[in-house]
Amino acid sequence: MSIADWTVAPVGRATNYVLETVGGASMILWRIMRALVPPRFDGHETWRQLDRVGVRSAPIVIVTALFVGAIMVIQTAFYVNKTGATSLLGYGVGFTVFAEIGPILIGLMFSGRVGANNTAELGTMVVTEQVDALRALAIDPMRYLVVPRFIAMMLMLTLLMVLGDLFAIIGAAATAQGLIGLDWRVLIANLIESHLLDELTMGIVKAACFGVSISCISCYFGLSVSGGAAGVGRATNNSVVANATAIFLIDFLVGWLYTL
Amino acid sequence: MALHALNTTHRASGNILASLGRPFLSAGRFLSELGRLFRDTAVAIARGRFSGAAVIKQAYEIGNRSVPFIAITLGVLGLISVYQVATQVAQIIPDFSMIGAAFIQMMVREFAPTITGLMVATRVGSGIAAEIGSMVVTEQVDALRMCNADPVEYLVAPRTIASAVMVVMLTAVGVVFATFAGMLVGKGAFGIPYNTFLSLQLTGIGDVAIGVTKALSYGIAIPVIASQAGLATTGGSAGVGWAATSAVVNTSFAVIVIDFVISALAFLVH
Amino acid sequence: MIRFIDIHKRFGSHVVLDGVSLDVDQGEVFYIVGMSGAGKSVLVKHLIGLIRPDKGQILLDKWDVTWLSEAELYSVRKSCAMVFQNSTLFDAMTVVDNVALPIRKHLKLSAGDVRDMALAKLDLVGMRKAADQMPAELGDGLKKRVAIARALTLDPRYVIFDEPTTGLDPLAAAQVDDLIRTLKAQAGVTSIVVSHDLRSIFSVADRIAMLYQGKVRIDGTPDEIRASEDPVVRQFFSGDPDGPMETT
Repeated sequence: MSIADWTVAPVGRATNYVLETVGGASMILWRIMRALVPPRFDGHETWRQLDRVGVRSAPIVIVTALFVGAIMVIQTAFYVNKTGATSLLGYGVGFTVFAEIGPILIGLMFSGRVGANNTAELGTMVVTEQVDALRALAIDPMRYLVVPRFIAMMLMLTLLMVLGDLFAIIGAAATAQGLIGLDWRVLIANLIESHLLDELTMGIVKAACFGVSISCISCYFGLSVSGGAAGVGRATNNSVVANATAIFLIDFLVGWLYTL
Repeated sequence: MALHALNTTHRASGNILASLGRPFLSAGRFLSELGRLFRDTAVAIARGRFSGAAVIKQAYEIGNRSVPFIAITLGVLGLISVYQVATQVAQIIPDFSMIGAAFIQMMVREFAPTITGLMVATRVGSGIAAEIGSMVVTEQVDALRMCNADPVEYLVAPRTIASAVMVVMLTAVGVVFATFAGMLVGKGAFGIPYNTFLSLQLTGIGDVAIGVTKALSYGIAIPVIASQAGLATTGGSAGVGWAATSAVVNTSFAVIVIDFVISALAFLVH
Repeated sequence: MIRFIDIHKRFGSHVVLDGVSLDVDQGEVFYIVGMSGAGKSVLVKHLIGLIRPDKGQILLDKWDVTWLSEAELYSVRKSCAMVFQNSTLFDAMTVVDNVALPIRKHLKLSAGDVRDMALAKLDLVGMRKAADQMPAELGDGLKKRVAIARALTLDPRYVIFDEPTTGLDPLAAAQVDDLIRTLKAQAGVTSIVVSHDLRSIFSVADRIAMLYQGKVRIDGTPDEIRASEDPVVRQFFSGDPDGPMETT
């Protein structure tokens, strides 16, 4: 192997991979947009997806949110105790949960639960020729499979973010009371006084964006599967990695745009 | 079959008690199987019944090949955190002198281990489950047993050892990248000098201990949980996909729970 | 009628079809046979645009199907249905919903009418009783019948069967053969059947074409095939493992 094989080639391969993924997911987004204007997609499937995506992920999001709130209280309490500024506890927890940690962690959980499942499901359909069967029945897989999932994921993640924020506060309050000895009412009052509406909306905007990225990326990886069972496994793996990276990048982008 | 079972939401319309009890029963069964795998893995490692070469290979697979992913995600996290916090601080008390120190401390004790853990859970968790899952589905695991090779010793133990070590190292890498990115943003957007930012003033040995404990725990939990999902695969390509999915969910969740437990213990001990 | 004109197709360096030309007349039951991997499925998938050739043309009735876009192909696919090798029912819905899907998407009927029509199609294949079961609960033979019912929902004039009897027990296979015959007799449907089931081939086919090493080895009526002196043809149709055929 020459030096180039060692250094340039892997970078080139990696770049190719990134470009392919970004390109592929963008193509999917473009085709979804085309199918939405004017709206022609399968309503029945959309309802089914809303149920599956929402109902199935609610428990994990709720439990994650509880823990996230709890962890953030513990971490923030550490500083607050040191500096003595106990009134900042509500603010600190609210800010981090609503604006940053909440969206990222809930986004990651959603990406794992729904994104991976989606890639696996679509990948299996490709491998067992069900997608070809749809095309043979003159049914557009984009309108029948992809757009319903896109809508369901975007809507559901946004709703789940709101739900998650709520349960994160509950987890935070419970931990404050139980572990730290701070009255939960004080925490909540603190929180409300902190005027974190901007942070709350930013978190929800992030959730909507994650919904878009997770659906496009997971559908892209699912529909481009090849290679049987192992291929489906690989695609699922690649899909969650790509989704996680996208979540961080989008989080940064939205955060930065908000400060403009 | 598994996927089909999940798709039917209301077919088994038993009474309320049964449907409430069922998730607890299956959770209980799942946890006991998981516990058994943990114990078997621990025994295999303690007895030294694993291949050193396999450990090295897995270490490369888990560690080296995750570096770019960790670098990007933790680098961006560093960027975001410093940017957001500095913006807030600028509005309240424009004193940036402690930002770097506090940032590094938080990274070491909380965010670097946990986010690294989540990223490893995502990448490696689904990878291990997918890999072992396809081996199950193509009957390679059965073939292993026929050759008197225990799947736990052969598959799970090397990955566990490699992962335990590598997650700690990846966490360190994560701290470096996050700090580096944060430092750049601090200087570029807020004029915080590099020396001021790179302050280890607040970071004590306790923080490092917490961070390492978390990373180690994640490193051990992730491959065992993911292997469990892989070994329990049934049903062809649908099954493999489902195994990868449940591995990501379970390992991520485990990271968060472990994070909470260790953070709470650390707080109480202080 | 259907015409394959000089079709060439390769996947990477592997040449699958190397200049295949075939004509299928209206109302015929036309069998395409050959060994596994000979390119039979690849060839028929060209008809509905699931695969595009590297070179050549495919004509279906008045359409030149070769390079039609997905949107343009929808009309073609309503006239020419395909029953896939693995039945490929949609796992996520019941049998009757599987059959009802194309009806729901292409015909403006009420929900009740859609279900009635789907049940009628299931009747044709004798699967009405299984209407509300899930595909995973059915055996392969039954799944195949449902797949056929689903293919017939839009009353196509052409049906492609990709290995319809592979993996079925002799009784189930005979029933599928019967169905193909009935389709021709009662509805004038032109059937293109991909198969290597020798028994079915000789009992149902009007004409048979054999693919070997990417080319058409022989193309004729069952009698013409039986009378052939070509050693490769004779080996394939006698099922003899020894002979001039290269199997890799």
